[in-house]
Amino acid sequence: MLALQLTITGLQTGALYALTAVGFSLIFGSTRIFHFAHGATFIIAAYLFYFMDISGYGLFLGIVAATAGAIAFGLLLNRFVYVPIQRDEGSFFTVFVASFGIGIVVENVVGMIFGRGFVTIQTPLSFSTEVMDGLFIAPLSWISILCAAAFFGILWCFLKFSHMGMSLRALADNPELVRVFGLNPRFISACAFTIGSILVVPAAIISGATSGLNPAMGHHVMLISLAATIVGGIGSVTGTLLAGLVLGLAESLALLYVDSQWTEAVTFAILFLFIMLRPSGLLGRSAAH
Amino acid sequence: MEAYLLNLVILISIYSILASTLNFIMGYAGIYSLAHAVFFGVGAYAGTYAAMHVNASIFISLPVAMVAGAVLSLILALPALRVRGEYFVAASLGLQVLAVTIFSEWKSVTGGIGGLVGIPPVNVAGLDIFKPGQFVFLTLAALVIVLIIINRLVHSSFGRSLRAIRDSESAAAAFGKNVPLIKTISVVISAALAAVAGVMYASYLSFINVESFKLDTSVLIMAMVIIGGTGTQAGPIVGAALLLLLPSLISYLDFLPQTEIGAIQQIIYGLGMALLMIYRPGGIIGRKKHSSAGKE
Amino acid sequence: MKKIRNLLATLSVAACAFAFGSGSAAAQDHTIGALFPLSGPNAVYGDVFMSGSDLAVEHINADKMLSGPLSIAYEDSQGKPQPAVVGMTKLVNVTHVPYVLSAFTGVSKAISTLAMRNEVVAVNGGGVGPDLASLGKYFWNVIPLVNLEVRAAMPYLVKEKGIKRVVLIYIDDPFGNSILDELKSTLDKAGGELVDTLSVPVTAQQFSGIAAKVRAAKPDAVYIASYGAQQIQIVKQLRDNGVSQQFITYSGYLVPDALALPESEGLIATGQGVNYKSDDPVTKRFVTDYEAKYKRAPTAYNVNYYNAVLIYGILAHALEAEGKEVTGANLLAKREEMKSFNLVGGTVSFQSNGTLLFPIQVKVVKNGKTEVLTTVSF
Repeated sequence: MLALQLTITGLQTGALYALTAVGFSLIFGSTRIFHFAHGATFIIAAYLFYFMDISGYGLFLGIVAATAGAIAFGLLLNRFVYVPIQRDEGSFFTVFVASFGIGIVVENVVGMIFGRGFVTIQTPLSFSTEVMDGLFIAPLSWISILCAAAFFGILWCFLKFSHMGMSLRALADNPELVRVFGLNPRFISACAFTIGSILVVPAAIISGATSGLNPAMGHHVMLISLAATIVGGIGSVTGTLLAGLVLGLAESLALLYVDSQWTEAVTFAILFLFIMLRPSGLLGRSAAH
Repeated sequence: MEAYLLNLVILISIYSILASTLNFIMGYAGIYSLAHAVFFGVGAYAGTYAAMHVNASIFISLPVAMVAGAVLSLILALPALRVRGEYFVAASLGLQVLAVTIFSEWKSVTGGIGGLVGIPPVNVAGLDIFKPGQFVFLTLAALVIVLIIINRLVHSSFGRSLRAIRDSESAAAAFGKNVPLIKTISVVISAALAAVAGVMYASYLSFINVESFKLDTSVLIMAMVIIGGTGTQAGPIVGAALLLLLPSLISYLDFLPQTEIGAIQQIIYGLGMALLMIYRPGGIIGRKKHSSAGKE
Repeated sequence: MKKIRNLLATLSVAACAFAFGSGSAAAQDHTIGALFPLSGPNAVYGDVFMSGSDLAVEHINADKMLSGPLSIAYEDSQGKPQPAVVGMTKLVNVTHVPYVLSAFTGVSKAISTLAMRNEVVAVNGGGVGPDLASLGKYFWNVIPLVNLEVRAAMPYLVKEKGIKRVVLIYIDDPFGNSILDELKSTLDKAGGELVDTLSVPVTAQQFSGIAAKVRAAKPDAVYIASYGAQQIQIVKQLRDNGVSQQFITYSGYLVPDALALPESEGLIATGQGVNYKSDDPVTKRFVTDYEAKYKRAPTAYNVNYYNAVLIYGILAHALEAEGKEVTGANLLAKREEMKSFNLVGGTVSFQSNGTLLFPIQVKVVKNGKTEVLTTVSF
């Protein structure tokens, strides 16, 4: 029973990991921008929703505000930080440092506004009920999993069938090719940031209700996203999705065998092993050189 | 005031050692490691272990720490041989997180989160050194020695091989360079020298715990290198001095609200990192368009 | 007893007048230092601590207790050792303070060597790790340490509340581990049983898996030993994930953020016994002014840092009265000489290891407030 409970917990965690990670993976895969401030997008979306929630604007406006905030942040960062750096042919590492710096700024600004302590989005949906003997599931578990499924369904269709989706995938494979076909890589990368940032929103809101928020949590979000992206295979959205789920499950099921302080190490041990043994990831296309 | 300045000089020297050793693999070999704090920590723990259980003499703690750093660096060398770029960054990140877990859990040696209290002062030829006025000479001497070693290496044929590998691994291999060996040696040297900083740090603060060797520290060291100037010799030192002075300078600004000083420091620090990367990606010392930093 | 104290007070006032009369004590500004977490995840504590220390400064200055105005130089420790050591160095070498307020176990341990070497008194009113009792004679605690809290609570709960099977969730650091040891031995003695122990890393935020393990152990109560945001997080997530048993925790939980949480309802926490309704004038003044200034009831942390500053006031006042310089070494000597102090919560005395002995209360959270179940004296 414990194993079943932990599996469900793991799936819920994994679904949220997958959502954030796919956002990062999409941006990273198509633009090669090491968007470390992805964790900051998460914080911004979550706290905007929290703000709307406590101010009594209701669920819908909260979601709108969080989404708008996340998109605006992603686009502004792309326009005013990443694009100028890339113009000077900055390496992925230069971008990474800049992005990291922005992450620190966001963490502290949010901390100054909302306090640095823990806040939580109050909702009855986070309260579990006993589904079977000893098995507790909260409505939010279903919501997380359904949300993830819905978002991935839409994303999959978008990437598969829409013109822009195909361009995004093309950009990941070969930026030159995109230019040859007369597409504007700048515009496509803005699209990648928009979609990537939107994907963070449901995870941010649900995390705010289940595990609470604090301005410093962006780091953890980011590390998990990076791990899932690599384990899944850079450039593969499906791979990242699977990896997110696997990491969530691993973190939860690891509790059956080890003390909980080792669960984070489990995640990164998986990452390390993948890099050593299978750098292309679960579903990656090319080797890592 | 004097002691406060000495304190800053000591911390800057220690971090300069870290930044310079990281620059050695980052700037000259293209190995972007986010796990440098691990070797800082390994040096600190190993040196402290030797100082507390064997002898506080620097001639014991320092070699012990360097050997420990060198041996453990082979774990970092492993992914460095297989992957590069963002994959290696991720691998080093994984190592960093694993190391933090081990530092926290191996309580008999590291003291876990609680850390190790009452680390004895460094003993150099029978003299206990802990007063800032004396310690500053020790750290400056260590820094100078480390810089000389790195300088010699960079300007030797070994250094040329490193740069060749950084610019094109396959070309270097085609020229008959033993790429895996050269990479491994550079990582080992870098880690062993970083361990020196660990020994200094531990005996100066007389207290260490895992908090000092986390990802934040790795990122800080990396930021020092990048902000100062990757692949330059003065860059890491300038970067270290700047990033360590910044918080102290800000805390002298009395008009800032007391409770927000910490946050404001962090904001300036973060914003500085971002702005520098936009307008001067080669760092402060580096040329405006730095080819090594632009390597992809 | 009271007579003696009054006599002492009169004597010291007389001595003070004498000192002034002879003109040996020049008026001087007094600055003490404080290393509080003002940024980072634990900054919520910084505000709580400051509200107590600031009020004490106001009172001391209003009373003209010292020859010059008292002020506190705050440094941000971020709740971490390295920034704390840097801040401490600044306080000791630049601001030249003789007395530093400290908080958090890691911070306190990190600065204790500096305090010792520079003969500066460091006073902890927030950290409750038992190893804080052994950081040298310049390190004082104005807070009862957590082993005392566990020792007070468990026999009572086993006997009166019928709690036999306990699961412990503890943070994996010296603080958590000391609770583990203490809980094991006190439960054994009291006739209870520690059925499972689950350690959590300092950075963990997700506890639904832990909740599943707690449920599987079928305890009567869950003892939670963590701090800051994480502690609140554990309580909320355990309740969310179907753990309906009694929660027990220690004084670290009793901050406004945590009490406001609906999930805190019914939780049992221990804490140092401060009788806020006491007729003792120091306590009365503190409670009245605190409520007037901050529009909320004070907690033990506010009391501790108020007391920490007040102790400085009392000691420095006594030293000035004797015409002695206010240095760390003199403050220490004076404290050892004076033994007992009239502080918020009554007259208390230091143990020989520099830790104040306070009675412990077992409280229950009801409607966002705490109610005292019993008080255990040692």
